[in-house]
Amino acid sequence: MVVRGIRNRILLAAMLPVSLVALFLVAAFLLIGMGGTEEAHEQHLRSFARQLAASSEYGLFSGNVDHLQGLAHAAMQEPMLRSVVIVNPSGGIMASAGQVGYKMPAQLSAQEVLVHDGERGTVLLLQPIVLGQLALHDLFEQGATAGAAPTPVLGHVLLELSNEKFQIKQQQLLLLGLLLGLAGVLLGGLLAARLGQRVIGPVARVSRLIERIGQGEFGARAEMRAQDPLRDLQQALNRMAESLESGRDEMERRIAQATQELREKKEEAELATRAKSRFLAAASHDLRQPTHALGLFVTRLGQLTHDAYAIELIANMDHAVQAMRDLLDALLDISRLDAGAVPVHLQAFAIDDVFGQLRTELTLVAANKGLRLRIRCCKAWVLSDPVQLHRILLNLSSNAIRYTNEGTVLLSCRVKEGGRRAWIEVWDTGIGIAPEHQESIFKEFYQVDNLARERSKGLGLGLNIVQRTAQLLGHSLQLCSRPGQGSRFRIEVPLTVPGDVVDRRGPMRKESPDDLAGLVVQVIEDDALARAGLVNLLQSWGVRVAEAPSLALALEQVQKGLRPDLIISDYRLPGQENGIESVQRLRQAAAKEIPACLISGNTDPDLMQAAKEAGLTLMHKPVRPAKLRSLMGRLAQRV
Amino acid sequence: MLLRLWILLACAWQVCLAAPGAQAAPLVVIVSSDNSAAYVETAQSLIQELERGGLSRHSVLQLNASQWSASRDESPRLYVALGSEAADLLARSATGVPVLCALLPRGSFESILSREGRKGSSRFSALFLDQPLARQFHLIRLAFPALRRVGVLWGPESSRDRSELRALAQASAVQLVEAEVSKDAPLFPALKQVLDGTDLLLAVPSPQVYNNSTIQNILLASFRANVPMMAFSSAYGRAGALLALYVTPVQVGVQAAQMARAVLEGKALPGSGAYSNDFQISVNEHVARSLGLSLDVQFLSRGLRQSEGLPW
Repeated sequence: MVVRGIRNRILLAAMLPVSLVALFLVAAFLLIGMGGTEEAHEQHLRSFARQLAASSEYGLFSGNVDHLQGLAHAAMQEPMLRSVVIVNPSGGIMASAGQVGYKMPAQLSAQEVLVHDGERGTVLLLQPIVLGQLALHDLFEQGATAGAAPTPVLGHVLLELSNEKFQIKQQQLLLLGLLLGLAGVLLGGLLAARLGQRVIGPVARVSRLIERIGQGEFGARAEMRAQDPLRDLQQALNRMAESLESGRDEMERRIAQATQELREKKEEAELATRAKSRFLAAASHDLRQPTHALGLFVTRLGQLTHDAYAIELIANMDHAVQAMRDLLDALLDISRLDAGAVPVHLQAFAIDDVFGQLRTELTLVAANKGLRLRIRCCKAWVLSDPVQLHRILLNLSSNAIRYTNEGTVLLSCRVKEGGRRAWIEVWDTGIGIAPEHQESIFKEFYQVDNLARERSKGLGLGLNIVQRTAQLLGHSLQLCSRPGQGSRFRIEVPLTVPGDVVDRRGPMRKESPDDLAGLVVQVIEDDALARAGLVNLLQSWGVRVAEAPSLALALEQVQKGLRPDLIISDYRLPGQENGIESVQRLRQAAAKEIPACLISGNTDPDLMQAAKEAGLTLMHKPVRPAKLRSLMGRLAQRV
Repeated sequence: MLLRLWILLACAWQVCLAAPGAQAAPLVVIVSSDNSAAYVETAQSLIQELERGGLSRHSVLQLNASQWSASRDESPRLYVALGSEAADLLARSATGVPVLCALLPRGSFESILSREGRKGSSRFSALFLDQPLARQFHLIRLAFPALRRVGVLWGPESSRDRSELRALAQASAVQLVEAEVSKDAPLFPALKQVLDGTDLLLAVPSPQVYNNSTIQNILLASFRANVPMMAFSSAYGRAGALLALYVTPVQVGVQAAQMARAVLEGKALPGSGAYSNDFQISVNEHVARSLGLSLDVQFLSRGLRQSEGLPW
């Protein structure tokens, strides 16, 4: 566009003077030509009339009408003449030729007269005919000259001319002038375009070069030509492109270096995170084993007959074990969230189901604290992971109950945003959260006003888990709270319609503890303490247990004819064996697809993935009896 | 002889009187109408002739018309007026000194006389430019011996010569075809009349008939009618007349000087004027050739001169 603009301007600059000069030349040509033509035409006419007058002199002198008529006819040969009339001094027509188109003037002047008749497009020339003077310088004349009369007029010649041919000639002249002008302008235009191209060409090349450089093509160079008027500019552009190219290369090198450094630092950080995760996993594994065993022993202990004091102690022990389990559960959740090991199964389900489950779980807790639990549900279907959503709501509700001393805890669901979202809110009339704490409460182990880390005030992990789980699900989490007036947590969940993917059995399935009686379960666990706790628990449910500390012994049992309904195996076994392999080997030995599950204190994602691929449910230590029982119930139904 | 001696003495006395400082009064004053060539030539010829006759150069004063007007104190013995204008001027001035008019047609001289109410006399005489009709007729006869009819156009100024010419014609057995031209009688019909069947057109000076304006058409008409013209001036000869009989300025000067000397010698001027004694003949060879004629000027000149007793 710029180049086109320059081209137009150059053309204009060149064409304007050329056109003006051509215009002036043509105008001058026409003025001179036409004026000259008219003048020459008149001159010719006058000259012709004088000649005719001179020729007519003798005819008039001698009164020779035939002679005059001959002259008139001969005169008509002259082009453009319309008529010729020769009259005597008294105005009598002596001879005429052609068509006389005018009225004879009454008075004939003794002078030459030219009259233009614009209407008829004619010219009338009146030429007096006088006697030719022969200057004799004769002495006989001297005396007579004084009294001699003025030169006598013998008559007149009247010539009538048509302007038509003259006008045609002028038109031809005009046409010629215009053609010359046009040719001049065309020639000028061609020359201007030709010359302009010599300027525009280099400008266009420079423009394209700048455009390429502008687009980042710093390798572009101007082609140097010997006669190029913009040679210096192109050389400067080349130098500029070179410096830009080297600058860019230098910058890229630095960026690559910085990126490498960043990558190294990131890897270091990831290494550290992995180390932390490994530590957490190891610690929880080591802690789970005894906790698990402890839980099982306390449960078993509670089932025995004791005196009242012992029962109270056992209840306190169970309480402490429960708290330890909660802590380990929370740490495990955090560890799994860190490891990205929390599976998300988005599906459509009725929010009503989750609310029902929460009602069951929370009613008693709230009532124990003297609080009113109100649950307002709606008939909406939401798209979320029912397990994770249940965990979020359970966390929030538990918190609400924990931090509310009197009043009400409200769990509600409302359809908002024109039916696109459900607002699930947990209200309480509790102590509230000051604005300065409202961001921090979502951090790990952060607790408001619990510097002493009083156990009854929770662990400080719940809201962190809630927030991270909500992020994982893609739900927004909002907090609105005022100290002393209560809090409100809101989760926005997208609405959906009922679909086939809904697994209604999932978290909502009621357990039936009685189903397990008579079930044959093979337990493979190398840790004797843990194995004894698990065996005791299972036996309390009426399950017949075949225990083995290793795969070899378990295989031996099968080879001896044991056909268990269920295999519970620790993942980590002595030697190179593991739980997955053990289950497969036992299934092979029994020649039966025996339902099985794994127990492990290890939260390694690879292990989870491997278990999933093997179609085995992995339970983390310490295993909660309720969970274990539920799982066993499900597995037993497949038998 | 005594008179001549007396004149000489008188002249010598006058010269002596004027010798040291005062200039003597001229005896002859030449007044030219203007300074044109013919007048100058005539005056020079006159002066030379007078000097040759013994008159001093100082005795002759040459003036033109305007100069003469400014110096009227002169009282010469004779005025020589060259041309019609000078003649008219001197005629009107009436100085009492004899005046010889020269280099003018007879018609002009007579017009002046009648205008001034004078008559030709020895005190106011003229030497005419015109050639005597007899001389003209003689030349015609010489040039065209077989001539039968001669055409003549008479104008107001020339019609008084009619009877003389008729007599001459009659004497020579030549038929005269005449026509009158006047203001009421147009030229061409008259010309046509005289050219019809004639052998020669004899031009007799008359400004009404022959002038700068008419001569071309007259010559053209005569040429077309195959009638040669004999004219009265060399200019007409050059313009297309076949034959011209005329007197030259030199010849006029010589004759005027002779007449002036006669006056100085106490003789009177001719009362009715005089024709030139000498003459010149010219033939337009082109016209002659065109008309298929052959004229020998020498022959004609010699013949005419012999007939008049002039040296040739």
